[in-house]
Amino acid sequence: MKFNTVIMGGGLSGLTCGIALAKAGQKVAVVATGQSSLHFGSGSLDLLGYDAQGAVVTNPVEAIKALPESHPYNKVGDVAAAAAQAQTLLAEAGIKVNGRATANHNRLTPIGAVKPAWLTLDEYLTFDGDKLQCKKVALMNIIGYLDFPTKFIAEGLRKMDVEVEVKPITLHELNEARKSPTEMRATNIAKVLGNEELVMHLAAEINSKAGDADMVLLPAVLGIKNDALAQLLKEQVRVPMHFVATIPPSVPGTRMQALLRKRFEALGGTFLNGDRAVKGTFAGSMLKSIETEKLEGTKLEAENFVLATGSFMGRGLVSDYEKVYEPVLGLDVDYIADRTQWTRDNVFEAQPYMEFGVKTDAQLHTVKDGKVLANVYAVGQVLSGNNKVKLASGEGVDMLTAITVANNIIKK
Amino acid sequence: MDPNIKEYDVIVIGGGITGAGTARDCAMRGLKVLLLERFDYSYGATGRNHGLLHSGARYAVTDKESATECIQENMTLRKVARHCVEETDGLFITLPEDDLDYQKTFVEACQAAGIRADIIDPAEAKRLEPSVNPSLIGAVRIPDASIDPFRLTMANVYDAQLHGAEALTYHEVTDLIINQNRVEGVRALDHHTGINKEFRAKVTINACGIWGTLIAQKAGVTVNMFPARGALLIFGHRVNNMVINRCRKPANADILVPDDTVCVIGTTSDRVPMETVDDMRVTPQEVEVLLREGEKLAPALATTRILRAYAGVRPLVAADNDPSGRSISRGIVCLDHETRDGLAGFITITGGKMMTYRLMAEDATNLACKKLNVDKQCETATTPLPGSEAPEQLSKKTVAVMAAEGRHGTLTKAIAETTDVVDDALVCECEHVSVSEVNYAMDNLHVKNLVTLRRRTRVGMGTCQGELCATRAASAMCRKQEQAADVKADLASFINERWKGVQPVGWGDNMAEAQLTATIYEGLCGLNQYAGKEDLK
Repeated sequence: MKFNTVIMGGGLSGLTCGIALAKAGQKVAVVATGQSSLHFGSGSLDLLGYDAQGAVVTNPVEAIKALPESHPYNKVGDVAAAAAQAQTLLAEAGIKVNGRATANHNRLTPIGAVKPAWLTLDEYLTFDGDKLQCKKVALMNIIGYLDFPTKFIAEGLRKMDVEVEVKPITLHELNEARKSPTEMRATNIAKVLGNEELVMHLAAEINSKAGDADMVLLPAVLGIKNDALAQLLKEQVRVPMHFVATIPPSVPGTRMQALLRKRFEALGGTFLNGDRAVKGTFAGSMLKSIETEKLEGTKLEAENFVLATGSFMGRGLVSDYEKVYEPVLGLDVDYIADRTQWTRDNVFEAQPYMEFGVKTDAQLHTVKDGKVLANVYAVGQVLSGNNKVKLASGEGVDMLTAITVANNIIKK
Repeated sequence: MDPNIKEYDVIVIGGGITGAGTARDCAMRGLKVLLLERFDYSYGATGRNHGLLHSGARYAVTDKESATECIQENMTLRKVARHCVEETDGLFITLPEDDLDYQKTFVEACQAAGIRADIIDPAEAKRLEPSVNPSLIGAVRIPDASIDPFRLTMANVYDAQLHGAEALTYHEVTDLIINQNRVEGVRALDHHTGINKEFRAKVTINACGIWGTLIAQKAGVTVNMFPARGALLIFGHRVNNMVINRCRKPANADILVPDDTVCVIGTTSDRVPMETVDDMRVTPQEVEVLLREGEKLAPALATTRILRAYAGVRPLVAADNDPSGRSISRGIVCLDHETRDGLAGFITITGGKMMTYRLMAEDATNLACKKLNVDKQCETATTPLPGSEAPEQLSKKTVAVMAAEGRHGTLTKAIAETTDVVDDALVCECEHVSVSEVNYAMDNLHVKNLVTLRRRTRVGMGTCQGELCATRAASAMCRKQEQAADVKADLASFINERWKGVQPVGWGDNMAEAQLTATIYEGLCGLNQYAGKEDLK
């Protein structure tokens, strides 16, 4: 099978790159395992939430200029333009988000902490500073749903000087689902609540419990395919209503992943789901083709290849007792040779391994055995130099490096 | 005398298995007992070993006294602590690099100690235990088993309380009250309130394991201990179903024990300075030794994920100049400081092994009874622990109830009897811990924080190491809104505590899991904003 570009990895970075290339008229294939870090998502996307010293960032575009040279944002070029392109790409995929690359807003986390964010899904709670636009919140949760710790969230809300009342709600259908103790996870609830009739029942239940609250908050357990049901519920509830992210699995992340895939396929892209690249065939410093686990004997040939396989948790990087390596193509990896230096004693310290990743040149070409590969690029978390957790920069690096590589390929 | 100061017959210091067993025995003999533990039950060596119900075979050649004690207790605990024991049986294997002649010496020594030891064909050993190193040249089958030390300790504490004992955790003894060569009680710091308290007793029993040497110092007497640190590795699933030992003189990493859903390889043995016994972090060198030797018992370990590493310190009683402590007797040492040092009202019970805790408790209690002129026989060898009575048929048989039955035995009735379906919701999917089990543990098992909950229920001990369940468990533990900030700080501390055991084996799948944990707890949740509280103990 021949393509213009083959992308290894079907998460946020792989799909962003695929969509940008397909939109430019390329024939693109994405090889996806089906696992994506979006499944642990918050409903928000980060660009840069904290600087290298850990201080909260208000203007990401500005603060990015101060990042160390090793950070992948330094290979993006015009960050503001790439961020704008990313926002357009999301909108065209049917992912309605609010936010600006020059001004972070805040989100409320599943345990009631406040974190800065770049873009947030339209139905989700956001605020500036520590001021909510309300006096009294009805914090609702579905009876028996354990992944939305209301006392923790209420504690966070009360710190912002709002009155909070926790209200348990339920529907007959949810009581049925609850009989199996493992069924009460966000994505399952979203499936149970997957039709308009039930959403209308849910709205009635919420309205009857909202009392004199002037804002209703609900766990993000609605709208796994798109935002239609979530928006419907919002319209039916008599006071402003917002979702707050839950402990994974993430409904908003699953939705984003599904909509991006849909958009990619609508643009003519080939999405090979449940598969992974296992090796490549090189001719000099050019990658000719890759093979996957499932397409036995069939090689995927392309002019360009993009590695978007993620970091350790995505298996884009693998470590063993002695080393860290890139398992598909054996690309050069930036890491510390001494294993005892990979980690720090306190789990909340900046962990050195978080910055390990494949080596790239200024155009995000990868390197193998010291030689730059002219047609193999890397995007997203597999890149070295980015601690996505400390910097709150995960989705921004995913999307902006993907867009940069797509632009670099198109320009060729 | 101050009426606020409580008076007891016996104060037992130390909430490990020895102290818990001693408190139970004393209470069963009708004594008024107080048990004091500085952190949580099983915090020390009790919670940091193989979980092996030794047959005694390991010591048969080098330490007959200990071997005999082991096999007697092995047979007793199978009956009285049924719900804590899993009858796995064990193998002693000879590898090509080992001396097969040692097998004969070993079997004879076992027989002399009263331990059944059957030489079996290596092919038979492979059939019985498919994970065993296939290059073995000899095998002996012996009655080893596995035992859950957390459960065993709690069952003893619980029964002591049923017999009227009082028990306080997070109460650290700061000094002993001594009046004219007699220990009359202790002063203790309540770690939760910061208040210093005084407790009086006619007899004080020092059952503090390695820390016993420090308690003895406070009493002005000397008990020389030999701190022998042992490190162990837990693997992510149960590779073996029988205990596998090397048939040679005891050495590093030569026992592999199946425990619950995992298996444990250990140990190393190194003398460490007394000042370091609270530092339980495993070193890279220890990990290397354990991996290298462990793979020889069961080659599958080479490709099995290591969940975490941990270490404990054996309370050996110093004898000679032995750098590893391997040749020191594991025999029981019960010291009457009145006859030994002229200090009345004070007993130290030490040495021994988790295996022989009941005998240690019996010795210490006999001595206390003698001092108090109480003439009542020990009944712990025949009276089952709570949870180990004859099983009852439970009406509800969900997976969580069955899992709880494994952990709490007949006490599961209280968990299974809940009627609210919400209580059946699963907090921990790896170990099948329900909301009602968390509630039960909080109400009945002295659960103060997430780490104590883990020791009682196995929450966070499975393959995910608390990745998702810890938040659910923390939320279930937060009963009042005012506690929320504190419980979140506990959660941060718990995640850090789990990391301590993962870090020494932080490569491969563990690195991937660590990154996922960081992505969820710090990236998604912002739990780092609540970090900084002292480690949970």
